[in-house]
Amino acid sequence: MQPEKKRVEFTGILLGVLLLLSGCGGKTDVRPVGGETDRTGFIFPEYCDVTIPCNIAPLNFYYTEPEGKHFVTTFTAGEHSFRQKGREVCWREKDWARLLSAHTDIRVESSYLAGGRQESFTWVIHVSEDPIDPCLTYRLIEPGFEVWDDLEIVERNLESFQTRLLSDWSHTANNCMNCHIHSQARGDLSMFYIRGKNGGAILNRNGSLRKLTLKDSSMISPTVYGEIHPAGRFGVFSTNIIVPGIHSFRGKRMEVFDTASDLCVADFDNNRMLTFPASARKDVFETFPVFSADGNYVYYCAAPARQLPAQVEQMHYSLVRVPFDAQTGSLGALADTLWSAHANAGSVCHPKASPDGRWLLFTLADYGTFPINHPECDLRMLNLQTGEILTLDAVNADKSDTYHSWSSNSRWFAFASKRGDGMFGKPYFSHVSPDGTCGKPFLLPQKDPHFYDNMLRSFNVPDLGDAPVSFDVGQVGRLWKDTPSEPFD
Amino acid sequence: MPGKKVKWIIGISLATLLLVAGGSQVYFLLRYPYFREYARINGVNLVQARETWGHPSEISEVAMGLAVEASRENWEAVARIAAKDRKSEVGTYYYNLANAMKGQLADRLMDYYQPFERGLFLPVGEKSQPFVIACASDVWFALGEMSMAERDAMLGMLFSPAHNGSRYLKRLAETNLVTGNYETASKYLRMLANSPADRKWALERFPETNWSPEYRERIERKRALLPRFDLVHGMDQTQLTLRVLLNSNPSNKMALDYLLCFDLLTKNLDAFVADYAPSLTSSHLYEEAMLIFLTAKGGMNEENFRHYNIREETVRRFNRFVSIYQRDKGSSQNIVGEFGKTYWYYFYYAARKEKS
Repeated sequence: MQPEKKRVEFTGILLGVLLLLSGCGGKTDVRPVGGETDRTGFIFPEYCDVTIPCNIAPLNFYYTEPEGKHFVTTFTAGEHSFRQKGREVCWREKDWARLLSAHTDIRVESSYLAGGRQESFTWVIHVSEDPIDPCLTYRLIEPGFEVWDDLEIVERNLESFQTRLLSDWSHTANNCMNCHIHSQARGDLSMFYIRGKNGGAILNRNGSLRKLTLKDSSMISPTVYGEIHPAGRFGVFSTNIIVPGIHSFRGKRMEVFDTASDLCVADFDNNRMLTFPASARKDVFETFPVFSADGNYVYYCAAPARQLPAQVEQMHYSLVRVPFDAQTGSLGALADTLWSAHANAGSVCHPKASPDGRWLLFTLADYGTFPINHPECDLRMLNLQTGEILTLDAVNADKSDTYHSWSSNSRWFAFASKRGDGMFGKPYFSHVSPDGTCGKPFLLPQKDPHFYDNMLRSFNVPDLGDAPVSFDVGQVGRLWKDTPSEPFD
Repeated sequence: MPGKKVKWIIGISLATLLLVAGGSQVYFLLRYPYFREYARINGVNLVQARETWGHPSEISEVAMGLAVEASRENWEAVARIAAKDRKSEVGTYYYNLANAMKGQLADRLMDYYQPFERGLFLPVGEKSQPFVIACASDVWFALGEMSMAERDAMLGMLFSPAHNGSRYLKRLAETNLVTGNYETASKYLRMLANSPADRKWALERFPETNWSPEYRERIERKRALLPRFDLVHGMDQTQLTLRVLLNSNPSNKMALDYLLCFDLLTKNLDAFVADYAPSLTSSHLYEEAMLIFLTAKGGMNEENFRHYNIREETVRRFNRFVSIYQRDKGSSQNIVGEFGKTYWYYFYYAARKEKS
């Protein structure tokens, strides 16, 4: 009997040690909190009154009151009720699933003791019946100005905490990689770039992976920004001479601007690049082209050329549209201006059409083409049926909100926001109701509620996908290493 | 009985081994204290440090000592360690910075190995070593240029082994405290507060209620140096960056000295004369440089000597330098001993080594 007792004691001690080591029992200092810090709410992530989809992973969070104790949180949805104790609120996935299965909003009661006083709050998590696409791809990058190290492109399952690597530095000799984008959130149609030696555009079409050199001798650079046509044969791109600079004024950090940019179309079936005299004018810069939902138009941003960097604050891009011929891949010569930078103050970046054709989401900054470093930069939504532009007050924050993408059902969009710390882009999601009303966005939940406290990388271009892409980091590594890039002419 | 003896021998052997291993570790830690501290502020243990930087040596101890003491802003120690350095860019960089903190950058510039402008501002580019990049932020922070200080700290962290060393987090926190970006600073401070070694440092810097009068003064002093207008410039436009600083704060003597020394180390006398303000700074270095310029422009007269605060003794020495130079047809043989630590010697004899 004696040895068994000892074993029980030893197991208890071991469990205690493991618990401490795992961080669950460890004490994390949450300071600083409050005004003028990146933790202004009483919980983080700030999930009060957000709208979430019915298929999202558990919203784990922690209380930010540094001196608080005896935290108790009660969640109630329909007949289900769950009570959790402690500063960190971490869900078992099956309990969270039961809560969501009530198909109703979740009422939350929070209480804790702080400074001898009992604090109590009641708040709500709105649950939408509209599911969000289950996959999110993003590039993890340190906001390291013009250089990079240890890049990763990751696919996250939004219904759980699972992630997998799509491409990373270790399989591609630490070459630069640009972000992975889906065409209309399709997991079977997507692309990204690996730059440098052995690099190329990595095209994922119906499960087949190709490496392409999207450049011909007439282009000013390889392709940069762009999108794949819904039918999959063509892609529309900008070619940009990109120059980084730095602001001298307090905390404005890096500015990136183009000293030249044009549009082109890639024909993936015939390995041809199509360029257009109308967009090759030196006195006008064109960038950020994307297709309309039906593929009959290309939206892009255009601005008159300026002397740079001296006149960078006068770089104001308008939102324009040209017809696209899906048979020949040609762009129309005459562009419609949908939002005039001349008539309005500001500069449009990153237009993105919703798959249902109702909306065009874009970023509005004071100037330029690098909104991620512009705190004033906000999202706007153009109603393509009425021409009305919605300001999305419920969505935007006092820091940069940009790099957005649509869910395939057009009911959700993801975007990168620097709200809070102002330095690191984090993925948020907002619900769009049929009339265009957007819900308060919520931050991508993580298993460890302190995940973002210790994260020193930005989630770059969070892009929603309706299914996992069919490739992984190993395939991309082999393609990069062993397969020559297909030339285009 | 024999089994017992074997066990005893094994026990003694193991104890000896442990003792030797422990002793060698203690010896290692005592011999290379800066290696250990440099590893700590980079967020790695000694094994990872050896994997990253190799086995420590006297040379690495000097380089890491400079970086460690600079991170503590212990400029006396930096100057002392720099004296042991043997012609490295990082050594010169910290030698110059330590002198600049005492207002002696120009006076002591020619006393030391100067690899042209790279001894003032470390090159941060594709070919730069991560160790060098990690040091580049220090001079910008001292000068009050927080955009560049933050940028170089971020790059230093990006290329460091753990990507989260306290050396970088502290600099990033402070640059943002100076610029008033408290939200950003609080992220770094929270990370530091969760590290036992840096907890106190972080808690004392939570904005702004925890600031001591001394710390508040430090921040205010830095803020007074910040540029007051915005200009977008290239990352490598050093002179322009310094001129922006000076345009906002002409009394930033350290920035002025760095600009003038930059002009002189790049042998750009036209820029030097344009940037030189004799009423704001003075040094025998500047007198020497002005004499080369005035000779070339035919301006060797009393009026100019007075205007540029050039002493008679400097003119006399310059004339002697010129006479030997002309007599020996440019040979440095009879010049180096007497004039080896003058700008004249540097100007006429220092040549860039082109790196392959």
